[in-house]
Amino acid sequence: MQIRLTGHSEGELSASSAQHSTIRRNQWRRRVAFLAFGVPAMVWFLVWMLWPLINMFRISLLRWDGLVKASTFIGLANYQRMFTDDLFFYAMRNTGIHLLFGMPLALIPAFFLGFFMSLRLPGFRAFRFIFFIPAMVSVAALAMMFYGIYMPEGILNAVLRLLGLSAWTHNWLADPKTVFGSIIFIDIWTGIGFYAVLFFAVLSNLPNELYESARLDGASLWTILWRIAFPLSKGFFGVVTMLHFLWILTSAAQNVLILTKGGPGHYSLTLGYYLYNQAFVTQRLGYSQAIGVFLFIVGMVGLVIIRQIFRQTD
Amino acid sequence: MVHVPRLRLAARLRDGSTLFILGGYLISILYAIIILVPIYYVAISAFKTNRTIFTQPLALPETFTFDNFVRAQKVAVLDRAFLISTGVTVGAEILTLLLAFPAAYAIARIPTRLSSLFEYVFSLGFLIPALAMLVPVYLLVVRIGLLYSPMALVIFYPATKISVSVILLASYLRTVPKELEESAQMDGASRLQMIRHIFFPIARPGVITVLILNFIDFWNEFLFALVMLNQRNRTLQIALTVIKTDRSLDYGLVAAGIVIVVVPVCILFILFQEQIVRGMYTGAVKG
Repeated sequence: MQIRLTGHSEGELSASSAQHSTIRRNQWRRRVAFLAFGVPAMVWFLVWMLWPLINMFRISLLRWDGLVKASTFIGLANYQRMFTDDLFFYAMRNTGIHLLFGMPLALIPAFFLGFFMSLRLPGFRAFRFIFFIPAMVSVAALAMMFYGIYMPEGILNAVLRLLGLSAWTHNWLADPKTVFGSIIFIDIWTGIGFYAVLFFAVLSNLPNELYESARLDGASLWTILWRIAFPLSKGFFGVVTMLHFLWILTSAAQNVLILTKGGPGHYSLTLGYYLYNQAFVTQRLGYSQAIGVFLFIVGMVGLVIIRQIFRQTD
Repeated sequence: MVHVPRLRLAARLRDGSTLFILGGYLISILYAIIILVPIYYVAISAFKTNRTIFTQPLALPETFTFDNFVRAQKVAVLDRAFLISTGVTVGAEILTLLLAFPAAYAIARIPTRLSSLFEYVFSLGFLIPALAMLVPVYLLVVRIGLLYSPMALVIFYPATKISVSVILLASYLRTVPKELEESAQMDGASRLQMIRHIFFPIARPGVITVLILNFIDFWNEFLFALVMLNQRNRTLQIALTVIKTDRSLDYGLVAAGIVIVVVPVCILFILFQEQIVRGMYTGAVKG
C-alpha cells in the first residue's frame, strides 16, 4: 500500500517536475530571446548616454587643462571656484532671467493659441501649419535667420524705420542693453508655436460634449478655458513646462554660441554657453563639467518642483 | 480624424465670447505674421544682391539671381557638406532602427520581468540633456579614435533617440492581438518569421513616424557635429554658420545657405505634418 502510494506519488512527481522543467525551460528561452533582442540597444544606451553622464561627475573632480595635458584629482576645488568666479555669477543671473521671462512668455500665449485652435474655427488648420514651422527649422538656420533680423541693416530696424520709429533702432546683438532680450526672444518666437500645437493636440482629445454642455450652461469661452480646458490638461501643461525649462537651461546655449559667444562683454553669457566655453575655448575641462553638474542638479530639482506644481488633482 | 467645429456660430455670438474670438484671431494672425515675415525675408534675400538686401530689405527681387547659391557653395563647400549630412543622417537612421526595433519588440512582446527594468532605464534618457554629455562623449570619441570622422556621429546619434524610438515602437507593437501571434506559433512560425510577417507590417506606421522624427533631429543637430568634426568633414548645419564668419556682411550668401539647409525638412513637414505632430505629442506624453 505504502509502496504503491509512494510509487504513485513518485510518478505524479516526475510528471509534474517534467511539466515544471518545460515551463522553466520556456521561461529560460524567453529570457534569452529577450536579451538577444534588447541588449544591443541597452548597451548602446549605457555606453553613449548613461556612462557619459556618470563621467561628467568624475571629470568635475579633476583639474584638466586641455586634452593633451595630464589630469589631476583636486576634489571639490572646481565647485569652490564657482563661488569666487564673477563670470559664473553673471551666467547664473542671465540664465535666471532667461527662465523668468522665457517660460511664461512662451507658455501662456501657447496655451491660449492652442485652446483657440481647438475651437476649430475657420482657418485653424492654416494656423496650426504656420505655428509649427519654427520647430522644424534647425538651431543653426534659426540663428542665422535671426542674425539677419537683428543686424544693423536687418529687417527689424527696417520695419522700425518703416513705422517711423527710427529712434528705436539698435545694433541689437552688439548693444549690451538689447543683446540678451534678443536672445530670449528667439526661444519665445519658436516656443509659442511649437507648444501651441502640442496643446492643440491634447485639447483635441477632450470630448466635444464638455465644451457644448458648458456653453449650454452659459459659460463664456474664458470660463471654459480656465475651468475646463486648463484643469483637464494641467498634467500636460506640466510636461510642456518641463520640456521648455530643460530647453532654456541647456539647448538654448546654441543660440548664444552661434550669435554672440556670450558678448558683448558678459551680457549674454548663460550657464549652458559657459559650460561650452570652459570646455572648448578656455580648455578647463574639469571646471566646465562642474558647471555641467550644477546645471544637471538645477535641472532635476526644477523638474521635481514643476511636477509638484502641476500635479493633476482629480 | 474628423474635425467637427466645436461651437455653432449662433451660440458663439450670443455672449461676450465674440471678443474672445476676435482677440484669438488677432493674436493668431499677428503671430503668423511674425513667423512668416522673417521666413519671407530669408527666402527672397537668397535671390537678391547684398546691396538690395540692405537698401530694400522687404522688396521682391527685380531679377532673380542664383549667384548667391554659387558663391555660398564656393565659400563653404556646401555640396560636400550636403553629402556628409545625408550620409550621417541615413547611417544613424538605419542604426537607430536596427537597435530600437528589436528592443521595442522584446519589451512589448516577450513577457519577462526584465521588460519593466529595460523600459525604466530607457525612460531615463528623457532626463539627460545633450549638453550634459557633450564633453564626456567628445572624450569617448577621441579615445576610440573617431574624432573628426562622420562615423562618430553615426554611432552616437542613435543613442540620443533610442529612448523615444523604443517607447513609440513598443506602443505600436502592443496593438498586435495575442491570438494572431498564437495562431502563427501553432503553424510553427519562428520568432523572426513572426517579426517579418506580422509585427513589422503592423508597426509600419510607427516605424515611419520614428524615421521621420529621427530624420529631423539628426539632420538638424548642431552641437555635437560642431565639436566632433573638422573643416573637411563638417555637416551642412556647421557649414551654414561658417558662411557668416567668412563674409560677415554678405547676407545673400547666408540666406542661400539657410534655404539649402531647411529644404529637406520642409519637404518632410509638408508631406507628413500629421505624423510629425502626433509623434512629437506622443513622445512628450510618454516621456
